[in-house]
Amino acid sequence: MMYEKYRLHPISAFINFLKALKELLFPLIILVIVNGFNFKADGKEIWEYIPLFIFLLVVIFYLISGIVKWFTFVYWFEDNELRVEYGLFVKKKRYIPFDRIQSFNYKESIFHRIFGLVEVTVETAGSTNGRPEAEFTAITREAAARIERETKKLNIGQDKDGEINVEIGGAKVSDQLQEEAHVIHKMSAKDLLLLATTSNSVGVVIAGVAALFSQIAEYIPTDWIVEEIAAMIQFGFIFIMVIIFLAFLFAWILSVMITFINYYDFTVVQENDRIIITRGLLERKRIIIPNNRVQGIKIIENPLRQFFRYATVVVESASWGFGQGDTKIMLFPLISKKEMSEPLQYLFPQFTFDLEGEFVRPPKKSRPHFYRVYILSLIPIIGLSSYFFYPAGLLSIFLALFVLIMGLWQYKTNGYLISGNQLTLRYRVISRVTFIAEKKRIQVIQKRQNFFQKRKKIATVQATVMSGLAGATARVPHLDESDADAILSWFERTRGINKESA
Amino acid sequence: MRGELEYKIPRKGLTVWRLYGLIYTFFLSVIAGTISFLTYQFDWSAAIYFISASVVLIAAIALIWLFPKIRWDHWRYEVREQEIEIQSGLFVVKRTLIPMVRVQHVDTMQGPILKKYDLANIAISTAATTHVIPMLITEEADHLRERISELARVAEDDV
Repeated sequence: MMYEKYRLHPISAFINFLKALKELLFPLIILVIVNGFNFKADGKEIWEYIPLFIFLLVVIFYLISGIVKWFTFVYWFEDNELRVEYGLFVKKKRYIPFDRIQSFNYKESIFHRIFGLVEVTVETAGSTNGRPEAEFTAITREAAARIERETKKLNIGQDKDGEINVEIGGAKVSDQLQEEAHVIHKMSAKDLLLLATTSNSVGVVIAGVAALFSQIAEYIPTDWIVEEIAAMIQFGFIFIMVIIFLAFLFAWILSVMITFINYYDFTVVQENDRIIITRGLLERKRIIIPNNRVQGIKIIENPLRQFFRYATVVVESASWGFGQGDTKIMLFPLISKKEMSEPLQYLFPQFTFDLEGEFVRPPKKSRPHFYRVYILSLIPIIGLSSYFFYPAGLLSIFLALFVLIMGLWQYKTNGYLISGNQLTLRYRVISRVTFIAEKKRIQVIQKRQNFFQKRKKIATVQATVMSGLAGATARVPHLDESDADAILSWFERTRGINKESA
Repeated sequence: MRGELEYKIPRKGLTVWRLYGLIYTFFLSVIAGTISFLTYQFDWSAAIYFISASVVLIAAIALIWLFPKIRWDHWRYEVREQEIEIQSGLFVVKRTLIPMVRVQHVDTMQGPILKKYDLANIAISTAATTHVIPMLITEEADHLRERISELARVAEDDV
């Protein structure tokens, strides 16, 4: 029996090419810099053209390989498997059984949206090697719907054992699924504005803008400035204030723009034990996290957001989404802490989010450990800078003060909480992080003690869950040793039984 | 207070660590020797002789004598029915608890030096991390590997 074989949309040849080109961007920049921006084509030496020539060759190669990949790529459904084949000389075949498919992630770049296409990645239960099982660079929405339909049809047929009549066309199946969808969270324009304003990246953008300004400053004629300086001293203060204000405004607008592009229409939907997140203005992304792939939850509050009682919620997932960066999936980029617990409780009924007040905190004796070593290590720096830059260098003392305050703040923040099978760790580097995980999701727990900690009978505890290749680790420093041991004992399965039988 | 773990690394392991230290020190002294030779050739400051000599001396004391001893003293492990517990570390003593259910696979590894001393490393991988118990007698390492994979297979997720 022949099965109908489907192909990608022709535009995917072009998108393949663009993707490859994006990776080439960096070498190209280096090439241009090495050539010293020297593209005068006076043709004296043929050698001068060789880098350019090689580069052109590479570009053509990528173009052809993009076309070849599109041309050879076919997929079809056979024997309850999604089968994908591509390649000219080396044929790559990938057969994915329907029941192993966990989720389909969608992405639409501008190119996709012009032609009404989507990029689809298929994820399976076992794919932890860092790549999605199969990638469809560009297919029409109907084709994407067909893939989901075909694979789901059999899944439901098997799972429900004919309990529900599923000999239906895909449309009816997807209708049925639609009904169970439940919108958990949506971000308004106001939320996005707040997100942009309080994000750490504002600082990065400001630094960038400052760098830009300093670059521009080089082009301002210096003589003119010297002449103007006399006048400047009069207006100088106002002038500088205005410049700083403008720089901040510019940075803020930039940050707002970036946030809107990335998070526009951010929606979290729950549907059939899966969480579906869609976001983006120019490039729409849809990420699906099956509930059973969630390994842990991180609630992150940077100092500014903590002050306004807002938080970011991140899900550590065993899924891969669109590659490395997506293992930490933002569930709520910004949410008021008052409104947070209800949707979280709905999404994760296995956890308790009532976390205030009951934390086991580090003992008083561990307080110096949060700042002492760091201040001691700062002393040579402070000494040297005070000596060599005498009056201004004394300001470095404030560095020690900052370290002391952060240390005390960390001491105040840290703690852990065990409630049934849930471990909650709370710690701070600068932002306060509350890490929540179930016992069955924690891979390893480690207790760490250096010489000084051992003498004072305190210990650092860290828990690691699966997330991408390396896992995600949460670490609470300087707990009382007996508390650290209590966490280890909680994590042990049958210590009591073991002891009895031994 | 949790009790001390039962098993230590065999005494031969300490010898091998010292041997590794010796090899590192050898490479360091080759570099130091080259620098000293250059100093002699190009008539650089005499201080360089003293610096390179003391670097080699300190490295020798630390890498051959001190660090292996501390590390060997700290190393302890225990493989129980439901979990593996490992204590390791040089300056920071780490106590790691790995439930049997989380173990995905176990490997033994043996380089030429370890082979000569009839020792092997055993690496325990979970979905997120890898933990090594080094310097076990080869026979014991093989036995332990089989035991762990056996226990990991039968361990059931009870939570």
